[in-house]
Amino acid sequence: MRALPGLRGLRGPPSLQLPLLLLCLLAAVRRGWADGNTTGAKATGPSWGGRARLGPASPLTTLPIREEMMTKYSNLSLESHNISLTEQSSVPVEKNITLERPSRIELTCNFTASGDVNSVNVTWKKGDEQLTNYCINATGKNLYTQYMFTIINSNQMGNYSCFFEEEKKQRGTFNFRVPEVQGKNKPLVTYVGDSTVLICKCQHCSPLNWTWYSSNGSIQVPVDVHVNDKYAINGTNANETRLKIMQLSEDDKGSYWCHAVFQLGESQMHVELVVLSYLVPLKPFLGIVVEVIILVAIILFCEMYTQKKKMHTDDGKEFEQVEQLKSDDSNGVENNAPRHRKSESVSQ
Amino acid sequence: MAHRAEPPDGGWGWMVVLSAFFQSALVFGVLRSFGVFFVELVAAFEEQAARVSWIASIGIAVQQFGSPVGSALSTKYGPRPVVMAGGILAASGMLLASLATSLTHLYLSIGLLSGSGWALTFTPTMACLSRYFSRRRSLATGLALTGVGLSSFAFAPLFQWLVSHYAWRGALLLVSALSLHLVACGALLRPLSLREDPVMGGPGTQLTSLLHHGPFLRYTAALTLINTGYFIPYVHLMAHLQDLDWDPLSAAFLLSVAAISDLVGRVASGWLGDAVPGPVARLLMLWTTLTGVSLALFPVARTPTVLMALAVAYGFTSGALTPVAFSVLPELVGTGRIYCGLGLVQMVESIGGLLGAPLSGYLRDVTGNYTVSFVVAGAFLLAGSAILITLPRFCSSASTSKPRDLVTEAVDTKVSLTKEGLGED
Repeated sequence: MRALPGLRGLRGPPSLQLPLLLLCLLAAVRRGWADGNTTGAKATGPSWGGRARLGPASPLTTLPIREEMMTKYSNLSLESHNISLTEQSSVPVEKNITLERPSRIELTCNFTASGDVNSVNVTWKKGDEQLTNYCINATGKNLYTQYMFTIINSNQMGNYSCFFEEEKKQRGTFNFRVPEVQGKNKPLVTYVGDSTVLICKCQHCSPLNWTWYSSNGSIQVPVDVHVNDKYAINGTNANETRLKIMQLSEDDKGSYWCHAVFQLGESQMHVELVVLSYLVPLKPFLGIVVEVIILVAIILFCEMYTQKKKMHTDDGKEFEQVEQLKSDDSNGVENNAPRHRKSESVSQ
Repeated sequence: MAHRAEPPDGGWGWMVVLSAFFQSALVFGVLRSFGVFFVELVAAFEEQAARVSWIASIGIAVQQFGSPVGSALSTKYGPRPVVMAGGILAASGMLLASLATSLTHLYLSIGLLSGSGWALTFTPTMACLSRYFSRRRSLATGLALTGVGLSSFAFAPLFQWLVSHYAWRGALLLVSALSLHLVACGALLRPLSLREDPVMGGPGTQLTSLLHHGPFLRYTAALTLINTGYFIPYVHLMAHLQDLDWDPLSAAFLLSVAAISDLVGRVASGWLGDAVPGPVARLLMLWTTLTGVSLALFPVARTPTVLMALAVAYGFTSGALTPVAFSVLPELVGTGRIYCGLGLVQMVESIGGLLGAPLSGYLRDVTGNYTVSFVVAGAFLLAGSAILITLPRFCSSASTSKPRDLVTEAVDTKVSLTKEGLGED
């Protein structure tokens, strides 16, 4: 897999992209033609249509199709992603890419060879499938390979890997996924008769549509919004959906699933709803109330008991009464107590 | 009925300390941890954060402004029935709140009902405590007030657990049961009749005599100024740290460190207040000045170590001034008038507390950072401590005064609640 001299990879300004692209394609086609039908003659997906399967990289048929595709989808946005590998990379390098809309994709892998650049074996795979139509370019010890394609529906989503084989096989993977939906991890606790709102959010994305399902067990049943005044689905932004459930009853408990529908697939999240009756916290409440009553009774009885003891043992001694009203100054009456009568003056 | 010449300074007094400990925990700990319910209520009623914050604000306001009522009733009937009634009110407020179907219900149940319950419990308890102790008053008050700090540590995770298992309705119901223990605490407050009591007369007479008492009025003014500055770090320290690009976890850690040193400061100052002879007002001035200085230094500090040291210093000194503040009042007005005095001071102090945090916020909005806010807070504290010098017998070594912490506690709660409110926006 020799890189053609003079080609410096597709790093030029955008105006040069298309001609460079064509050159790259030409090179790829010529290489494919030279190798015959060894590897990578399979189509990469339905976008290449039946015609690409006609023969191993038949130059006359594949080139016009690619050109056609390119012009047809040239109004799609371009995503470029890059992975750098070295001989010493011990773990496979992965890059996760979230994609919402159909786009043209440009994947570049960069490899620093320790030995001879030309002896490195470069391949691309989607899942287990070999890919063709990629370019290779080398400057000094650095090897660049680039694979370009378009994603227009969910079939083209998946994992794309570039492989560099010198002594060890080094791998870089691009994982394409639809954006994830966030919901609540903890169950939502509510009471019978309340209403609640289940929220699903998607950061930095706008799904085409949101749908809600409820499930008991493994089957997901769509939520029927037309039952009168029970459910209401609305979202303030496109990246959020709210399912409002009113007049909760015990039957409403279980798992609810929100699905975010994109052009390139679906992602889902589940929210757990728990509906309790008011009796559930009432039991510990009554227990604690009983405990407080017992405590107060103990305290007051202890006090009355010590008062009675004092009354019986210290006859004629003054004692503090348990009653809460302050009585008048009646200290003239019981006067023979040896306790705390320091001075007779009442003024301060 | 026998009137004691001297407070018992022990004996049943320690049970009163226990009661006051649990009461400060149940009143202010609940108020401080109320922020846990905040998020749930915003989602449940689909209201704005500001409107939900009013629940706690109304509760605190009612608790503060209702303090004189609690004091007057305790003067007439003794603290026990008043506190027990307050406990029942507070618990029933929470109970009704758990059945609420709109935000107005919550304003009335938690704000008004529980707030008045709290007003009837806290002030009478602290005043009762002051009557039970004279030589060890500061220590007793300091120990009782640790209830606030410890309960904030305990209640926040507890409430979070309750909310995640029972949702806010069930959690409020169980917090109501928890608040019912205030009744048990009230039962512990055995009436104590001291020698000064009959001479003092009813609540009306006491209030008028207090309003004509010069040192009392000066002290109230000093405490109001102190309160204005005291809470600002509780509200704005987190935001200030975030302005300095601290990550939330380290900032929360710093606040926890400040809270722990606050706790240590309370007990240490309580012990110190009793051990050191002379007017306690001097100690109050010392701690207030140090708090003001550490506040004013906050904007200057940039490095994490200095900020951490300042946080520890602020926590310790601000905790230290609380029990001493409670100790000064009995010295000024006497144990006979303590109920009314405490209630009155708390009510007036709360004005400072109400103004402090919004003023600080306004200064921050105008200047763009918290430098001016912290310096102004420090200035308020220093001004308050300057007024303390004018108290009688400050410069001579006469005997001690009584601590007054009620207002600062209310401010504590208000601040942390406002902090929660701000944090949830």
